[in-house]
Amino acid sequence: MTDARKLQGDKLTEVEAIERAKQGDAEAFEFLYDLHKRRVYSLCLRMTGNTASAEDLTQEAFLQLFRKIGTFRGESAFSTWLHRMSVNVVLMQLRKKGLPVVPIDETTEGDEEGTVKKEPGAPDERLTGSIDRLRLQRAVDELPPGYRTIFVLHDVEGYEHNEIAGIVGCSIGNSKSQLHKARLKLRELLRANRAEKAKK
Amino acid sequence: MNCVEFERDLPECIEGTPTPEQQAHLNSCVSCSGLLFDLNTIRSQATLLQEADEPSAAVWNALEARLRSEGLIRAPEPVPIAFPAKVSLLRRWRTAWLVPVAAALAIVAGLKLHHPAGAGDTVPIAKQQQLLSPGVTAKAPVSREDQQWLSTMASRPPAQVARYRADLDEANSFIRDAEQSLKDDPNDVYTQQMLIDAYQQKQMLYELAVDRSGQ
Repeated sequence: MTDARKLQGDKLTEVEAIERAKQGDAEAFEFLYDLHKRRVYSLCLRMTGNTASAEDLTQEAFLQLFRKIGTFRGESAFSTWLHRMSVNVVLMQLRKKGLPVVPIDETTEGDEEGTVKKEPGAPDERLTGSIDRLRLQRAVDELPPGYRTIFVLHDVEGYEHNEIAGIVGCSIGNSKSQLHKARLKLRELLRANRAEKAKK
Repeated sequence: MNCVEFERDLPECIEGTPTPEQQAHLNSCVSCSGLLFDLNTIRSQATLLQEADEPSAAVWNALEARLRSEGLIRAPEPVPIAFPAKVSLLRRWRTAWLVPVAAALAIVAGLKLHHPAGAGDTVPIAKQQQLLSPGVTAKAPVSREDQQWLSTMASRPPAQVARYRADLDEANSFIRDAEQSLKDDPNDVYTQQMLIDAYQQKQMLYELAVDRSGQ
């Protein structure tokens, strides 16, 4: 059993681990990493759609956090601090690669993706039972990067539109509009996936 | 309200509660009610992805290496350890052992120079047994091997034999203490090493004695 797990077994609190980490305690660092790694990695994976990039970004997010841990005062939740840092790390990476962080179009007028495609004669079957974590994961991975960012930040990670606007540098209206389009696109992808499976 | 109007207001409808007009349309339109249902389902299921995945162990390994290289992970300050009395005794013995061994060597060297072995060096049997008996200098009974070893030294000068006997008793005493400490805590690595050292140095005592007898 690693020492970090022993610390968990002894019910070390996050606050205690932070204080120990400030002193350079290796076990405390590992404890904090184990506590938050899934959330950070999943965020990075959802936003990049690539495991190798997600692992690199996870490492970078924790590294930046641990470099600054000496300045953490406990005024906000540690997880919030870490999460915001992770989002910034991912967005910086997306910008470096020239990938759209925010969907380019600001308006919805004449935008086909802002409307619901209705197939004549097609039954309006609901997605009940069609959405499980794996299917939803795959559909999110297929979203265009801009839509993916907004959807992950809002629906997966729980950021509000005003926060997203501040993070990615768009208007609140744009954030709402693009989120709606992302959800419509996901519905389309999930229904297509269901139809494909029905054919087999 | 028609479907186009409903879809235009759909984002607010999802985030909040349908207006009476919107609800009336939903009650009459299967397509729009299905759409609203699906989008709400996608929204509610999205949180399943929050901690869905785990990074490989390589991430922590690389991160830890970086933290160490940047000095963020620091080796702890050495903490003075309060050894239990028996172990403290063992520590002192480890260096103190060298003194009687050195003294024994000096004694042997001196005796051999000035008193070469000869008929006059034999010691009466009663005297030998007195020297070998536990009552003289022993702190505890000696083992059969120790008895045999001491008996080989019967021909030595009494002072020399007494010195060896005292050293042997001290070595055995430390071995017993270490063994007892290990019974209390078998995982005590420090005491394990002390016990090994004790046996090695008892062996050295034997070898010294054998070397002397060979001269």
